[in-house]
Amino acid sequence: MASVRVVTVDRNTYPGIYPILIGLKITLMNMIRTVFLRQAATIQFPEQKRVSSGRYRGIHLLTAREDGTPKCVACYMCATACPAECIYIESGERPEESIEKYPTRFEIDLLRCVYCGFCVDACPEEAIMMSRENDLVGTTRAELIIDRDRLMERGKLAEYGPGYRPSDHDVRRPVRIAALERLKKEHGIVPGMPGR
Amino acid sequence: MASAVETAPTPAGASSPTLRVLRDKLGDGLTGVDEWRGDLAISVSRRAWLEAARTLREHPELDYKLFLDLCGVDWLDKDGHDERFEVVLHAYSVSHKHHVRLKVALPENDPRLDTLSGVYKGANWFEREAWDLYGITFMGHPNLSRILTHEEFVGHPMRKDYETPKRHLLKEAKQWLLKVPEGSEHMIVNIGPSHPAMHGAFRVQVLLDGETIQDAEAEIGYMHRNFEKMAEERSYWQIIPYTDRLNYCSSFMNGHGYALAVEKLLGVPAPPRAEAIRVILSEFSRIMDHFICIGANVVDLGAITPFFVVFRAREAIYDLLEACCGARLTVSYVRIGGLAQDVPDNFDALCKAAVVSVRDVTDQMERLLTRNPIFANRFREIGVMGAEDALSWGWAGPCLRGSGVAYDVRKDHPYSGYEQYDFDVPVGTVGDCYDRYLVRVAEIHQSLRIIEQALTKLPKGPVITDDKKVALPPKSEVYSNIEALMNHFKLVYEGILPPSGEVYGYTEAANGELGYYIVSDGRKFPWRMKVRPPCFAIYAAFSEMIKGGMLADAVAIIGGLNVIAGELDR
Amino acid sequence: MPTFTIDGKQLEVPTGTTVIQAALAAGIYVPYFCWHPDLPVDGNCRMCLVEIERMPKLQIACNTQVTDGMVVRTNSEKAAQARRSTLEFLLVNHPIDCPVCDQAGECYLQDQYMKVGLHDSKIEIEEKVKKRKVVDLGPIMLDAERCVLCSRCLRYESTVTGTNSLQFVNRGNVTQIATFENRPIEHEYAGNLADVCPVGALLSSDFRFKMRVWFLKESESVCPGCSTGCNIYVDQRDDVPERLRPRRNVEVNKSWMCDPGRALYKEIAVTSRVSGARLKQAKGWKGTSVAAALDEIGSWLKGSGNSVAFVASPQATNEDLFAFSVLARSVGGLLDFRVGDPQLRVRERLDQVLQRADRNPNTQGALDLGLARDGVDQIVKRCAAGQIKALVLLGPELLRNPANLDALAKVPFIAVMATHEGPELDRVHAILPLAMWAEVEGTFTNYQRRVQRLRKAVAAPGDARPGWELAAGLLQRSGGTLAATSAREVFARLAQAVPDYTALDYKLIGSTGRALRLPDAAAAEARV
Repeated sequence: MASVRVVTVDRNTYPGIYPILIGLKITLMNMIRTVFLRQAATIQFPEQKRVSSGRYRGIHLLTAREDGTPKCVACYMCATACPAECIYIESGERPEESIEKYPTRFEIDLLRCVYCGFCVDACPEEAIMMSRENDLVGTTRAELIIDRDRLMERGKLAEYGPGYRPSDHDVRRPVRIAALERLKKEHGIVPGMPGR
Repeated sequence: MASAVETAPTPAGASSPTLRVLRDKLGDGLTGVDEWRGDLAISVSRRAWLEAARTLREHPELDYKLFLDLCGVDWLDKDGHDERFEVVLHAYSVSHKHHVRLKVALPENDPRLDTLSGVYKGANWFEREAWDLYGITFMGHPNLSRILTHEEFVGHPMRKDYETPKRHLLKEAKQWLLKVPEGSEHMIVNIGPSHPAMHGAFRVQVLLDGETIQDAEAEIGYMHRNFEKMAEERSYWQIIPYTDRLNYCSSFMNGHGYALAVEKLLGVPAPPRAEAIRVILSEFSRIMDHFICIGANVVDLGAITPFFVVFRAREAIYDLLEACCGARLTVSYVRIGGLAQDVPDNFDALCKAAVVSVRDVTDQMERLLTRNPIFANRFREIGVMGAEDALSWGWAGPCLRGSGVAYDVRKDHPYSGYEQYDFDVPVGTVGDCYDRYLVRVAEIHQSLRIIEQALTKLPKGPVITDDKKVALPPKSEVYSNIEALMNHFKLVYEGILPPSGEVYGYTEAANGELGYYIVSDGRKFPWRMKVRPPCFAIYAAFSEMIKGGMLADAVAIIGGLNVIAGELDR
Repeated sequence: MPTFTIDGKQLEVPTGTTVIQAALAAGIYVPYFCWHPDLPVDGNCRMCLVEIERMPKLQIACNTQVTDGMVVRTNSEKAAQARRSTLEFLLVNHPIDCPVCDQAGECYLQDQYMKVGLHDSKIEIEEKVKKRKVVDLGPIMLDAERCVLCSRCLRYESTVTGTNSLQFVNRGNVTQIATFENRPIEHEYAGNLADVCPVGALLSSDFRFKMRVWFLKESESVCPGCSTGCNIYVDQRDDVPERLRPRRNVEVNKSWMCDPGRALYKEIAVTSRVSGARLKQAKGWKGTSVAAALDEIGSWLKGSGNSVAFVASPQATNEDLFAFSVLARSVGGLLDFRVGDPQLRVRERLDQVLQRADRNPNTQGALDLGLARDGVDQIVKRCAAGQIKALVLLGPELLRNPANLDALAKVPFIAVMATHEGPELDRVHAILPLAMWAEVEGTFTNYQRRVQRLRKAVAAPGDARPGWELAAGLLQRSGGTLAATSAREVFARLAQAVPDYTALDYKLIGSTGRALRLPDAAAAEARV
């Protein structure tokens, strides 16, 4: 263990006008950086948009099977894991013996959602992931309860790109996400690289 | 606790001087001892409570000067508990470096106890909280009134038989916290709850004689959501997003502390890589928190430039967090036993960029402020808090170190591998606002040192434990085999099932010692989860600190204490 | 009485006890699939292997009887390893079905994987043997892939119902259970097959895909379907009952219940429930508060003496019946409950398993409380003669018999406490909303004179409240008082007033009930 070195802080100040001149210099430099060198930390939203990381936890998306139906089998894992209790599912029977079950209703109340991504972690079927869409606006509460069809729309997804999803970095055994490959093939949606 | 018997072959706490001294002092007032996961817990009878606390604090061999936490526990209808209520005190001895937990059981029909507000100053608010949430009466308490809930609230919400769907609207808010003395021309002024100089929704009412504060009374609870009650109905990992909302300026650290506390309860450590990443992100969070504190504090004084300067570096850190976990503010990145995902490939580059940015703006900030006599004179000799008082109030972190006490959990009780890193503990000498500022700035530099060391040493390997009872299995396994799928299902719907027992997990958060006192009965939900919020103890002292000072100084002081309403009110 | 040691604990057990019974009774965990407390031992799953000193090989706990001086270790490394291997074998061909399987949450495989398994998989999906899935057997859905071949269902069919409709077909890797030509299961006890199945091979068609079981909260209760009084759990989520399940009571129903009983939850959370009080006025019905309706009814009762009649129902709890009878006695009116079948076939069997001819859960309780007093026929006669001014009904049974209608038309005021809307309610003048059995605390007395408790599982709709509360309200308005504010207190009053019940209270009744002494003749009749 490193020895505990206790350092007493220095309480001395510089005399006279010198520190004030330094302050003015810094302020001026920052002005130059921002106004002339265009190094502002802010952006001009909405004309300009941030590029979010490939793990961004935005609005959810439901992945699809080859025939366009939801991959979700209504196992309720996401609704169970959700700490905000914002996922509502009703299940029904599918004729295919290999699938059996699917969600007849799948709604997420985005006003309750805390975007923690636990639904993605809990999904055993790579059926729910998150997109990088983050600027949804609604004028009523009802508008922000989004349903299965909205979750499966691909228009917005192509614009923003997919976000938080099962990790392809898991050293225990990396995961190949077939649903993402299908998105790329069918909709030309490329999952973003993590980071900028 | 049954499990304690199995883990401790020697009698619990046998070697502890605390137990010896208390036994000598209290005789049969000492009713039980338990030592589990390294936590010493001593039960005393109700009559011996005050005497026990006083001995803990004043006996030179014990010297439990630092008040940490006091809370209630409700054992309604629980086997093995004859009495319904329990009050639990946590204290720490800076000189001997040990913690103690003192417990007393109280009957349901007469939950009364002597107040400790005469022993520890900090006990005042904590006892009010225990009264508010549990209805435990503290005899001799100077002002036993509602603190987190409002004064028209009915019932005690943390009691196990409280009906949670109940709503109690506040119809008429309390207008006057203070009274103008008869015949004086003093004036009462509200600072907050909605005031630009109050960093969050809390309120202080001051009685002014000209510009001098004669009396002050603080009111909190505007952001109270009863995190602790919600935690009693959430599984261990569902609580993680809630911890983000405690101190939201450095949300990662709350999750880090929480995960460590649960890992202590489970006896399952996180792998080294996860710990190193946690350290890096925690230190970045600490830097952000200090930036917010300093930036906002000087805005209150009229200096707006440093605020904008430091926020540039915060952006770089937020980008780093977003790249790791997909969110900037409410990160929810830790998991019990590790992290949600490994960091991205460009983690190293992002960290280095953030370090450069932080160095740059810290340098600018220091040149703008530190040696500037206008700034320094504004901060010197105001809000002075002596070391002894600071400990008694339960201060910790930069504020305590500003008062000259070199207590840092990272040094004194290293966790997550802090013992591997070389860093210093900066302390102040006077305990005024200037010292607190200087300590924070010095800590930013120390944090950068830690980050750089951790980055060079960053181990390879998994980021989450392979304990199948704790961590979700890899997704590829879940998709392809029944064993992992069943494991996944059980962990999602049944959650993590810890052994029954209680632990106090503590870390050095940006504002000081962030403690989680978790009581488990072996089931999916914690039986009791108490957060020891550092700024609750700090803000408790605020109205005492500003008495006799100028009104404008009160504003300067509050910013330097860095009170975050999310954590204060929980 | 052999004495033996299990995991270091010394226990004395009755002769003939098996190791698994002794272990479970002592709170020691032993995993099992094929063993069931109410079925004969088969010993095929090999999951309950334990180490017994001086026995060279591991023994199955379910078929090994405890002998004097035996030393058993359930958690030795050897036993743990054997169980892990057994579980791994059972999972070799198990499909990756948890997401679509209703058993998830109460599946023995899941539970035991977390307790004794925790091993990694060695099998790829492609290697698994495929079997028949989604086979509709009427009340049961069969999925042969999920089956662990424990034969619990076969033993249930042969020993409990005697129907033998399920059998193993084929051998080795492709063994599976099946019915002959996939015929549906036709007896009235099919629901128990889903309960005995430790995995998701046999699942209830009724509950299929409705709800995940971990969302459900269980409450102990008693089935109101007949006078047997099977012990059950009501499983509900957000005050909607989702299913009924048998609760083990060796004295009454063992681990079983009938399918008609299982379906009774469907009557609870429906829109046709009476959720508020209403009074008939010149222009039609007008909804009022319960208090206002009680005022109106009370005004008809006060001082009316024997021109008032009270008719109760054996569907009601003892608490309701007691309060109702106190009300009738206080007013001085006529009282009875025997509407419909006057034979009161309380103890007559309907089949050889559980069901009884009396479809009311509490006829015995009504008899015990002395509600068989003036005779319903007598009351109807007096109605027809115009001697009854007001009639108060606990339950609408009397209104349903067309033979009574002319007589009832002569009564100026009829008030009914009802749970469901129906055409018969048009014939009355005041309706009080009555809570159903799953919405109240209370007791039923079954055919054996066993007093058993119901616990409140869900909230009653709207203003609906327990019958005793409504009766107490009327009692108060007609000048009497019940001196009780909860079902527990009503029962305490009842225990004071009714001989035989004197020694009982809710705590004593507990979760499995308390039997009172039967008259000798009845005891012979009731003998199983």
